[in-house]
Amino acid sequence: MDREGGAGMKNIVEIKNLTKNYFNKRALDSLNLNIQEGKVVGILGPNGSGKTTLIKILTGLLRQSKGEVFIDGHNIGVHTKSVVSYLPDRNFLYNWMNIEDACDFYKDFYSDFDEKKFEELLDFMKLEKNMKVTSLSKGMHEKLNLSLVLSRNAKLYILDEPIAGVDPVARDQILDAIINNYNEKSSMIITTHLVRDMENIFDDVVFLKDGEIILQGNAESLREQKGKQIDDLYKEIFSV
Amino acid sequence: MYYMINTLGQQVNGGENMDFNDNLPIYIQIMNLIKGKIVSGEIGKGDKLPSVREFSKKLKVNPNTVQRTYQELEREGLVFTQRGMGTFVTEDKEVIKKFKKGMATNIVNNFLIEMKKLGFTPSEIMDIISEWIEKEERE
Amino acid sequence: MMGRYIKYEIKGSYKFILGVLALVLILITGIFAYSINVDEGSVLGGMFVGLSTLVIFGTLLTTFLYIVGSFRKELYEDRGYLTFTLPLTGNKILGAKLIVAIIWFILLGIVIAGYNILMVMIFTPIKLNISEFFSMIRGMNIPYREIIAFAIAVIISGVSTLILIYFSMALGRVTLRNKKIGGFWFVIFLVLSGLISYVQIKIIQLLPYYIDLNTFKIISYDMFNKGFASFSVIQFNDAALLTSNGDTTILNIGGFLYNILIVVITFLGTGHLIENKIDL
Repeated sequence: MDREGGAGMKNIVEIKNLTKNYFNKRALDSLNLNIQEGKVVGILGPNGSGKTTLIKILTGLLRQSKGEVFIDGHNIGVHTKSVVSYLPDRNFLYNWMNIEDACDFYKDFYSDFDEKKFEELLDFMKLEKNMKVTSLSKGMHEKLNLSLVLSRNAKLYILDEPIAGVDPVARDQILDAIINNYNEKSSMIITTHLVRDMENIFDDVVFLKDGEIILQGNAESLREQKGKQIDDLYKEIFSV
Repeated sequence: MYYMINTLGQQVNGGENMDFNDNLPIYIQIMNLIKGKIVSGEIGKGDKLPSVREFSKKLKVNPNTVQRTYQELEREGLVFTQRGMGTFVTEDKEVIKKFKKGMATNIVNNFLIEMKKLGFTPSEIMDIISEWIEKEERE
Repeated sequence: MMGRYIKYEIKGSYKFILGVLALVLILITGIFAYSINVDEGSVLGGMFVGLSTLVIFGTLLTTFLYIVGSFRKELYEDRGYLTFTLPLTGNKILGAKLIVAIIWFILLGIVIAGYNILMVMIFTPIKLNISEFFSMIRGMNIPYREIIAFAIAVIISGVSTLILIYFSMALGRVTLRNKKIGGFWFVIFLVLSGLISYVQIKIIQLLPYYIDLNTFKIISYDMFNKGFASFSVIQFNDAALLTSNGDTTILNIGGFLYNILIVVITFLGTGHLIENKIDL
């Protein structure tokens, strides 16, 4: 999808003809998408466009009805789960945990977890290790979860609506943390409907509407071609 | 060094996120920002530009975008990269001067087009400009 | 990896289990203390004993549902987003849940039973010293083999019941997708256990070959009953997996293998469901 990267760039994600049906509803319709190493890809679309369905298939929480998905050359399974660092759009930590437990948990299950990095991020986010997970506000939750997810040296980060519903200060911290922890060897998939706030960190963007990709490409090339920012393009496409 | 990152960042939007509102690619908007500073002398010749990573943090943009900005500036000859050292503004006065002139040409060109659209003749435009400059000098 | 998951399962539930144990032990103490001083039907004392017994049963039932429900929570609550994106196979997650449940049930069983024995020893008027107690036990003719056989049978049927519960929960999640109907798994569980028991009885009746746990010889049911019917008061139950007539215990081979097979199938089936079928 991005010709500027040139040949030789490895695809970390390959999606071929991906279709997902719920009983009578088609959530994803013959999606084709490759994501290269080192790219930050924005999946843009309103609620119900299929963003979360796509992400849940990539993380192994959902099964596709048709098509093929490869991450790091493997079908979705134990290997892909070990190289994907996933931030769900909800509080997924166990209720009995405090932040220290969550840190131990990540350290135990993910060999790529960097505890030092996690402590730096906690510091940056102004969180303390003895805080109970259940006592955190929505914004603090998001910051803690993101700190855990970004402290892994994963091949692929998948962030589902990382700034939805948080205050502007937390939003800025989250954006900073994402940019600070970007590295050339790993890729990121970020879904959002808050395009204005996030568009500058995307290499590539994918517009999803009713389960289909209606536009995709390099963000800068699209700005050049269409003579507008991605946010304006988003508003035009989804007429919001 | 640190100072410069700050000025570069702050200039954009009072220290907040840079608002890229033009209908131009982000890398071109950042290029224009840096060009303006080089031409005005705010960034001197031979000065080091912030690293890609620092600058991308400051502007809250993808590091690849800043990378591209630097590449394009280098292609235009305004900056040069030294392996392992960073990106520096050209030492060549002539290049900067040429750029300054080019930017002036653009501004004057646009100005003239607009004025002509409003129906001013070249001599009327000259009058308006000299009047304006005299007034400025008196103040 | 599974060991680590077990560690976090225990970390997440030990406070609840310890709380339950504390409550139950206090109530048991109370019951013993009251019933020992019972003078001609003190109404209040009787009420206390009755209520405490009820509370103990209620607590144990709640605990059972809590332990078993830890699996269900993964299927319906947000924590599943963490559990099911761990680099673990469905079998390992299921295995960990199962092992922790067994650990808790055994712990609860041993502590509560042990505490009861302790209470009996403390509150019985006849003071018994420990060595006398053990020599008394040694003196008795305890049928160890039978006890062990029954213990194993209880553990196997307990484990298979647990797995069947997990299987029913996973199946309920798959069939009803996102609709959460409390207790639907229980309906599935009842139907499946009925079905499994029915088939087991049929198998036992079709294949009446047993192992005699005293001699480890294979014998048929007819042989067995013909030879001993005249002596024994209790008839062998011809549909039971493990049955005893008082001095001999026999285990149905077909039924036993069938049970093991069911355990394996439901375990792998549940693992498969949570790994490949459940849409969170």
